[in-house]
Amino acid sequence: MATFKKSGGLRDLLESMYSVIALLFILVACVELCDAAAAVDVYRLIQYDMSGSPFGSRFAALNHHAASLRFPPGADLSRTVLIIPLRELNITFVREYITQKKPLGGLLFLLPEVLSFKHGGNKQVHEKEKMKKLLAELEQLLVHSNIPYPVYFAFENDDIDTVLTEIKKNDAMGQPATATTGGYKLVIPTAEPKKVASPTITNIQGWLSGLKADGDANQLPTIAIVASYDTFGAAPALSVGSDSNGSGIVALLEIARLFSLLYSNPKTRGRYNLLFGLTSGGPYNYNGTQKWLRSFDQRLRESIDYAICLNSIGSWDNELWIHVSKPPENAYIKQIFEGFSNVAEELDLKVGLKHKKINISNPRVAWEHEQFSRLRVTAATLSGLSVAPELFEGTGSLFDGRQYVNESAIFRGVKLVAESLARHIYGHQGKGVQIFADESSLAANPAYIRSWLDLLSQTPRVAPFLSKNDPFVMALKKELADHVDEVNVQHENLEGIFTFYDSTSARLNIYQVASVTFDLLLLLVLGSYLIVLFCFLVITTRGVDDLISLFRRPPSRKVKTA
Amino acid sequence: MTMFHFFNCAILTFGPHAVYYSATPLSEYDTLGTSVKAAVVYLGTALVKLVCLATFLQVSENDGFDPYQELLKALIGFIDVAGLYFALTQLTHRNISQNHKFQAVGLGWAFADSVLHRLAPLWVGKGARIHMGYILQGLEANANLVLSISLAALASLIWLRKNKPKTLIPIIYACAGIVATMPSITSYLRRGLGWYFPKVVGFELFTSLVMAFISWQLFFCVPKALCMSSRVYALLYHSKYEAVLIAHQFTSQASYVVLPWTTPLPTLDFYRLCSLKV
Repeated sequence: MATFKKSGGLRDLLESMYSVIALLFILVACVELCDAAAAVDVYRLIQYDMSGSPFGSRFAALNHHAASLRFPPGADLSRTVLIIPLRELNITFVREYITQKKPLGGLLFLLPEVLSFKHGGNKQVHEKEKMKKLLAELEQLLVHSNIPYPVYFAFENDDIDTVLTEIKKNDAMGQPATATTGGYKLVIPTAEPKKVASPTITNIQGWLSGLKADGDANQLPTIAIVASYDTFGAAPALSVGSDSNGSGIVALLEIARLFSLLYSNPKTRGRYNLLFGLTSGGPYNYNGTQKWLRSFDQRLRESIDYAICLNSIGSWDNELWIHVSKPPENAYIKQIFEGFSNVAEELDLKVGLKHKKINISNPRVAWEHEQFSRLRVTAATLSGLSVAPELFEGTGSLFDGRQYVNESAIFRGVKLVAESLARHIYGHQGKGVQIFADESSLAANPAYIRSWLDLLSQTPRVAPFLSKNDPFVMALKKELADHVDEVNVQHENLEGIFTFYDSTSARLNIYQVASVTFDLLLLLVLGSYLIVLFCFLVITTRGVDDLISLFRRPPSRKVKTA
Repeated sequence: MTMFHFFNCAILTFGPHAVYYSATPLSEYDTLGTSVKAAVVYLGTALVKLVCLATFLQVSENDGFDPYQELLKALIGFIDVAGLYFALTQLTHRNISQNHKFQAVGLGWAFADSVLHRLAPLWVGKGARIHMGYILQGLEANANLVLSISLAALASLIWLRKNKPKTLIPIIYACAGIVATMPSITSYLRRGLGWYFPKVVGFELFTSLVMAFISWQLFFCVPKALCMSSRVYALLYHSKYEAVLIAHQFTSQASYVVLPWTTPLPTLDFYRLCSLKV
């Protein structure tokens, strides 16, 4: 009796065990993806419409398998993401894919970690010129194309490097990643990008009043110093523009500081008003500057003697350029240029003059001074660049980070501009008087330049993504207010032909897709091993009869016990 | 590693224990309590070993084989043996024969070892990529199960069987010594000789099978003293050359070998009996 009960109990136990195992198996087989092998911050290519034509990457969400450049030729890539590190980038290959509109699931560019402003630190960049050229070409290609799949930038780190080597190994074996063969899947779960509603551009102006003699009813002449502070690049979340135009902003703030020191004492206050302008909308044909000038009083505009615009003065070696639109024979231009040349000689650097005529019918505005010239105000741009940049070229690209600027270049630029202006204001042209001499209390402060440059190199400043009360804009306003008498902030809408879309950065999850066949095989092997082990143990310990009796169901006995 | 793979590795690591329990007569005689008690004793010895290791062992920088450290680890490993002794002899078990006692104790011991050393890496490694190491770990758990049961068999031979033939005693002690110092041997192989993990696991599997075979032979060749079980009804005759009839309730087919006793026995001693199971 006891033995019958025991065998029945054992059978029940086995049955329940089998059913539980079967349930577990079904549950587990449904779950395919596991936890992410890596999670990386990625930055999306800009997406914008210009006069209705779409440009940039039109999608943000990503959910495809990953492949490297060594994919088997002829493979279907319409549902795969190509991971391309910068050092393996072949521009013609990418250009072919984009211009011929070949189907692709997505693109992920891996940039060297030194370019990251979060983790790169101050490491030196190897092969600067080559990388700069390659990145510039890539950016120009991407920014001016219409790409119907997501394009992202990421910085290399250990996780991604291991994943990429794995992918390369798999690809070399000729196995593109699919659901059954395993591999990696890249997932970015973001919503569809939406339009940025009415992007605003904010112009900040600071006014430093000159000394008005008693009884003088005339308006004092004004000298304007202008720099645009916003950027535009292929990856708006990475577009910090240390040279274009971080250097200009820093120089403007330092000049404002120096002149505020001079103007604080009525005895040393000059007979010129100083107008400092931090304009936005620079990459979009200096739209902000145009709106700012249009908002001026007629009298004020006429009182401006001349304006100096600062653009990219952080990466030059020993030659600066003054770009003008009025012919060089013009008396005012001659005066400005002579003033600058004299000071330049003393500072042991060269200044050249470049003339570019304005074409009123052409909407393209290459330099900021052209907006002044269109309103009949004498202006010139001081820049380290010798050639006018194209639309969206060099306005905060991927390589324009902290390592690309040279703070001593900015320092010398500041000295040049401040000294030239001061000599003009105080009437010391041609005399060898150094107003902002080194080691004096009026010397330019390299620490000030460096700290502001560091801050700017960590702040992406693409105008449509800067809100009206963006903390950075407020910080600029506050800093300028420290140095000048009066600060005004002007909010305008960006020109209507541009539309921007949000979703500039996201988090990429890399999942390892297990090959289900391997696990199924393993389960089969293990199952048979356990069954063999079970039978072996039953035979050796209880005898073959017991084993056979396990499978035979004696119904008559069951009826008896019931 | 997906959940599926985790499940695979888990059944490789813990499946054999469940299969062993259900396949052998252990499940019939409900020896689960013994196994559980043995597992608890293992946890206790593991704790004691941890404290001793932390106190006496120095953390070495390199991964090489330091003989003194290994010797110290081996000595501390004998605490394992002491724990096994405690589990076998001191704990009160329900009415089970010695045959099943050592199996139950060995099973509980090996299960606790697997859970302690292999469950955590398996669970934590659930999110990482598929790694052959987890499968090798499972195979190692299997070898460990066999080794634990052989060690329990040899230990029960040493402490629970009173009358052993003189010639076999050194062999028993030697085998027990080898099995007890298996961890030191494997660590020497891995670090001193630089063997890779698959090779070490293969060696473990091989030795476990060999030791299991040897201990099986030893176990069934050493004449067994009857265990103190109330189910054994012994009829004793105090006469020199008379047969002793003993009804052994564990097997219905016991064949008896009658032995004359050669030395004077006190009243409550049991006669030697060699029972051969068919």
